[in-house]
Amino acid sequence: DGVAVLPAPQNLSVHSTNMKHILTWSPVVVPGQTIYYSVQYQGEYESLYLSHMWIPSHWDSPIAKPECDVTDDITATVWYNFRVSATLGSQTSAWSILEHPFNRNSTVLTPPKTEVTKDGSHMVIELEDLGPHLEFNVVYWRSEPDAEERSKLIKNGGISVHLQTMEPGAKYCAKAQTLVKAIERRSAFSRVECVEVEGEALPL
Amino acid sequence: GQEFQFGFCHVQGVKLQVLRKAFGTLRDTVQAQDNTTSVRLLRKEILQNISDAESCYFIRALLKFYLKAVFRNYYRQASELRLRRALSTLTNNFLALASALQPREEDKVFSLAESARRRFLQVQGAFQQLDVEAALIKAIGEVDILLTWMEKYYQ
Amino acid sequence: EDKPNLLQHVRFQSWNFENILTWESGPDSTQDTVYSVEYKVYGKKPWLAKEGCQQITRQSCNLTAETSNLTELYYYAQVTATSPGGQTTKKRSTRFNLLQDTAIKQPDVTCVPKVSSVQVVIHPTFTPIRGQDGRPQTLQDIFQDLLYRLQLQVNHTYAMHLEGKQKEYEFFGLTPDTEFLGNVVIFIPNWYKKSAPYVCRVKTLPDRTWTYS
Repeated sequence: DGVAVLPAPQNLSVHSTNMKHILTWSPVVVPGQTIYYSVQYQGEYESLYLSHMWIPSHWDSPIAKPECDVTDDITATVWYNFRVSATLGSQTSAWSILEHPFNRNSTVLTPPKTEVTKDGSHMVIELEDLGPHLEFNVVYWRSEPDAEERSKLIKNGGISVHLQTMEPGAKYCAKAQTLVKAIERRSAFSRVECVEVEGEALPL
Repeated sequence: GQEFQFGFCHVQGVKLQVLRKAFGTLRDTVQAQDNTTSVRLLRKEILQNISDAESCYFIRALLKFYLKAVFRNYYRQASELRLRRALSTLTNNFLALASALQPREEDKVFSLAESARRRFLQVQGAFQQLDVEAALIKAIGEVDILLTWMEKYYQ
Repeated sequence: EDKPNLLQHVRFQSWNFENILTWESGPDSTQDTVYSVEYKVYGKKPWLAKEGCQQITRQSCNLTAETSNLTELYYYAQVTATSPGGQTTKKRSTRFNLLQDTAIKQPDVTCVPKVSSVQVVIHPTFTPIRGQDGRPQTLQDIFQDLLYRLQLQVNHTYAMHLEGKQKEYEFFGLTPDTEFLGNVVIFIPNWYKKSAPYVCRVKTLPDRTWTYS
């Protein structure tokens, strides 16, 4: 069967942002040929108790490009190892293993993109959809001295959510941050966005 | 929110729903292989009346047993990929849980540790009375019983 | 000797803890095949005959009363099918987990339109399960993390969301004399259970007060 003459992929690394984890490596180049890659993973449990045990990535059909979304493989906040091999026809390379195991608690959390709008007297916010692992903490207030800040937990992005009903002649502002309970971390807040309702303030 | 509080032991970052979904994938396969319907390892009498303070000692012993003696030997049988992936989710989350369950030395109460150990030995004893394969299948098939008991300590 | 297949797919079907055992006739069964049901608590020895489901021809049996103990939780049932000629087939259900395997029906809700708001009142859902005091238990008594998720679609672009454990909610700041679509769901996060939605279409009342210029 295939003798390992094909070089193993090098420079494996994981790039993780907002709990989306992408494994990349340097491509194996054979002019005029398409190289396919197989990715396997091992959690900390397997490496401790069953070190020979590797599990094909969810993205397990051979991959033609030198990267793989391993988000669905990483389902616990422990260390994960990855390995990649290259295949060309009947030739298969040796496995190349990620130099440093990856833990999802190192993911980079960015403030969510937000859009604060008004519909009549209603203050509405839309947050970008960042996948199932992230929730959003939205803080909103009426722009006036000693304003009381209120907050709302929004479970998923990609939808418009009503924040509050506004009074004419007042300005209302909001900012948001992402929350990830699985790793007990949150992002910085997004920039503040405000909307104003025309008309005069109601007499007291 | 969403954390375990076993007496003095506090654990964040492990979600009960993730554990239940992973077990849900294994459940039908593993429980269908368990034909000793008259034997239950995690018996109601063992699990009830565990005080908060004792719960950390008990869950530590149980998780250690599952991680070292049960899950490890079931990987071979979980040949189907979706079962192996579900098992990996379960074991790695149990590992994260077990690693975080470190009662502080000053909280150590010998009598509680001893009581928890006696409870655990009842489970282990029942496990050892069964044939090896049957015991493995039964222990894995009872993870839902374990998770339902753990839910009492989940906020 | 070739065993007859008089029976298949023995399983529990459960809604709000109403636990019904159902099965299907097998390829070898006839109109005259009769069925007898037994049940047991997982971990206990005896199989117990279910009164009222012995030698029956129908293919379902209500085991609610026998499988409603919140301190046991795990049950089996088995059905024995007997052909007129005395041949039998016995099949067992999978292990029934009382909390895991019950589906949640849509909530019982009343939507009350007002001039610039819609009030939503959620009525408790009682189950066949009784507490130690003998009182019927509600879903909320049984599932400590149960919560209600309410949504009022204001227009095609956005919706108002409310969520909580209480029974009464109100969506404020609405335009009078306008139609809205409300939706209420029971959600049990720890069991990742979600009920079918209760949907109500309501119209806020016309604003008959004098308007001030």
